[in-house]
Amino acid sequence: MNPILELKNVTKEFHGVAALRNVNFTLYPGEVHSLLGENGAGKSTLTKIMAGVYEPTQGEVVFNGEPMTFGRPADALGKGIAMVFQETSLVPSLTVAQNIYLGNEKFLNRLRGIYIAAQQFLQSLNFGVDPTLYVSQLGAAQKQMVEIARAVHHKAKVIIFDEPTATLTPEEKHHFFSLVNRLKREGVSIIFISHALEEALAISDRITILRDGQHVITDDARNFDRDKIIASMVGRSLSAELYSRDKTRKARPYGHKVLSVQNLSMGKMVRNTSFSVYAGQITGIFGLIGSGRTETAKIISGVVKRDFFHGGEVRLEGKSVRYRVPRPAVKDGIVYVTEDRKIEGFFETKSIAENIYLNLLSADLNRGVVVSHSEMMDLARDWTRRLNVKAIDGNARVIELSGGNQQKVVIAKALIQKPKLVIFDEPTRGVDVGAIAELHQVINELADAGLAVVVISSYLPEILNLADRILVSRQGRVVEEFSTEEATEEKIMYAAVH
Amino acid sequence: MRSLGFMRHLNQEKIVLLLTALLFVVFSLTLNNFLAGDNILSLMRSVAVLGILGLGMLVVVLGRGIDLSLVAVMAISVAWSMQLIHEGLPVSVALTIGLLFALGIALCTGILVAYAEIPPLFATLAMATFVYGFGRAHLIVGTDVVYMPKTMGWVVSLGQGKLLGVPMPIVVAAGMALVVFLFLRFTKIGSFIYAIGDNLAASRISGIAVRPMLVLQYVLSGGIAFVAGIITATSVEAMNTRIVNSNMIYDVILVVVLGGVGLSGGRGNVRNVIVGTLLIGVLMNGMTIMDVQYTVQNVIKSLILLLAIVVDSIVNPRDEQTGQQGDI
Repeated sequence: MNPILELKNVTKEFHGVAALRNVNFTLYPGEVHSLLGENGAGKSTLTKIMAGVYEPTQGEVVFNGEPMTFGRPADALGKGIAMVFQETSLVPSLTVAQNIYLGNEKFLNRLRGIYIAAQQFLQSLNFGVDPTLYVSQLGAAQKQMVEIARAVHHKAKVIIFDEPTATLTPEEKHHFFSLVNRLKREGVSIIFISHALEEALAISDRITILRDGQHVITDDARNFDRDKIIASMVGRSLSAELYSRDKTRKARPYGHKVLSVQNLSMGKMVRNTSFSVYAGQITGIFGLIGSGRTETAKIISGVVKRDFFHGGEVRLEGKSVRYRVPRPAVKDGIVYVTEDRKIEGFFETKSIAENIYLNLLSADLNRGVVVSHSEMMDLARDWTRRLNVKAIDGNARVIELSGGNQQKVVIAKALIQKPKLVIFDEPTRGVDVGAIAELHQVINELADAGLAVVVISSYLPEILNLADRILVSRQGRVVEEFSTEEATEEKIMYAAVH
Repeated sequence: MRSLGFMRHLNQEKIVLLLTALLFVVFSLTLNNFLAGDNILSLMRSVAVLGILGLGMLVVVLGRGIDLSLVAVMAISVAWSMQLIHEGLPVSVALTIGLLFALGIALCTGILVAYAEIPPLFATLAMATFVYGFGRAHLIVGTDVVYMPKTMGWVVSLGQGKLLGVPMPIVVAAGMALVVFLFLRFTKIGSFIYAIGDNLAASRISGIAVRPMLVLQYVLSGGIAFVAGIITATSVEAMNTRIVNSNMIYDVILVVVLGGVGLSGGRGNVRNVIVGTLLIGVLMNGMTIMDVQYTVQNVIKSLILLLAIVVDSIVNPRDEQTGQQGDI
């Protein structure tokens, strides 16, 4: 069988730094090919070359027997290569149906016509999204579905999925995988990028692993297992698997009560929830998307306001607090590490050093009255070493870093404010395997140092691995609490969905 | 090697600087009177007020805003001050009232933008119209032009005096540029303004008091507008309130954008404003010597602006690494 897409000895350099070195990649019609590797391994660069966004510095790309042209992603799309991006590329002010048909409109674009067509199309994909809704009204998972629907609708021969399942619920994932199987039967080739290794193993025909911009291995999926993948990805054999539960791990004892939340309410998202957080341990909050966990965290840290009447009570070390903005919360020692670092986590035109230093300034913890360049560089050096941020130097811009390193910068920004209570919202979302272990260690060290730590996650192994006590959130309130000893995946999931 | 590095990291600021230097050389060689010492000083003097207003605009634009009320605040606050002196108030009292008026208006604008969350474009446009209408209806009655009172005293020297042979407007503009530079570079508030322009949500979560900072930006630009007004009034011994209806505010935006300050916030500094102002100064001066019509001057100015932006986008293509959404 002739390959539909072939990359031969592709090298790509940015400003003289090689992001890819002599990579070979072959994709056959109707195969599901997983592309795995740590963040910064070159997966995104490779897929962007396939989609015609980047032109390789050396090497050639052959699509359907013809050499690829570059510079115009529309060309690649026209030939049948569609990419479903990690950050959605939908137009928020248009409806779902308009987004699906974007670029394919007829000259006379009758709205009712495309609504009906989109409705049928979405139903055929088993996606429960109303085509007349505006994309700005959708949740993350639904946006992802629209994005996938759009790629399918464009009759793509090759679809590149970049972390498609990160925001999906288990049920939606199930739909997604049956869709992938359907596309495969129709002869569509699929490139699947994911950090969820089990999914990659289950769904792929073949797996290619990249490391540091170089090709490591390509083989049939059945020749792989989890250990082998991780070993190839990180280039070293992890003695203990990342999420294996250490049976000897003891839950940390309760420290004093730092935070107590009583009958907290905000609109329809948070309903009468109550819980407490103690110093010196990690409180895990598990909940599915829409269970109000992020909103609860944002109320506590002053990012959003709770209901004025019957909003409940938040006590920080016994003192009743009601924050209207995050500033007083930061001053009182509550910091919130966001789940969406690109939108509300860091300053993208600024360097690592400036990003970290700004949070010191905003917490009024800097040394002198004037802004000091040397203090800033000292801090950057100190924190990039402590959190092992991989960058050329402190002057590198945060936007140029990989997801894991960006997350470390965001965490450094929070920790520099000398908090008593740190709330991590999905601390390892969009972060590579190697960095996950490092981030977990950072979080553990914080709790060991006596801070009150809250970790919000929708990934069960992460909660089980990190938390000393586990709260389960459902429909806007904390419904159950487990100790580490009694918690199992089944028990937690049962509490979260019923 | 240094010059090579200069060329390699070509950006809009450097392009405009090169363009200015080029125009300067061309004018020096082709125009007889251009290089004369007096002419260079008068060139700089002619754009000093524009430069000062540009600094006010810079402070606001860095925080992702825009201030279209600068010229109106400048004209009405200073005209009213002088009107009050004519009516017999002591100079210091009248000037203080004028300054407080300018700051008060700017405070209202800031509150509208920061707390009522009205887009800066509309808030400042409405404010400009309000200030001009209110000023002409209630503060300065019966005349467009308020002449400078004879009793202004030392204040007159701000427009007409010289320091070591350099006209005071240039000295004041340079001083203001230095102050704004130090403010943006070395104070916390300066850092916060950049941060807010870059990412408002992240600034808020970082614990920056975002709304007071936004208000402060407009108050600063209001104060700067008052200073610019004093320089204008004392230079030409009058304040013509019709200046509000001229296209001066567009010239202010022109020097800011021309120098390479990003209208989407967070990018730019005082250097950009100086470079933009100098280019406009050289261009206008040369064209005036060549006796180019005023209307044609406007065409050339706009073409220069477009050229600078086009060259910048060719030299620094916006790809995913460097591009920013909402760039305007």
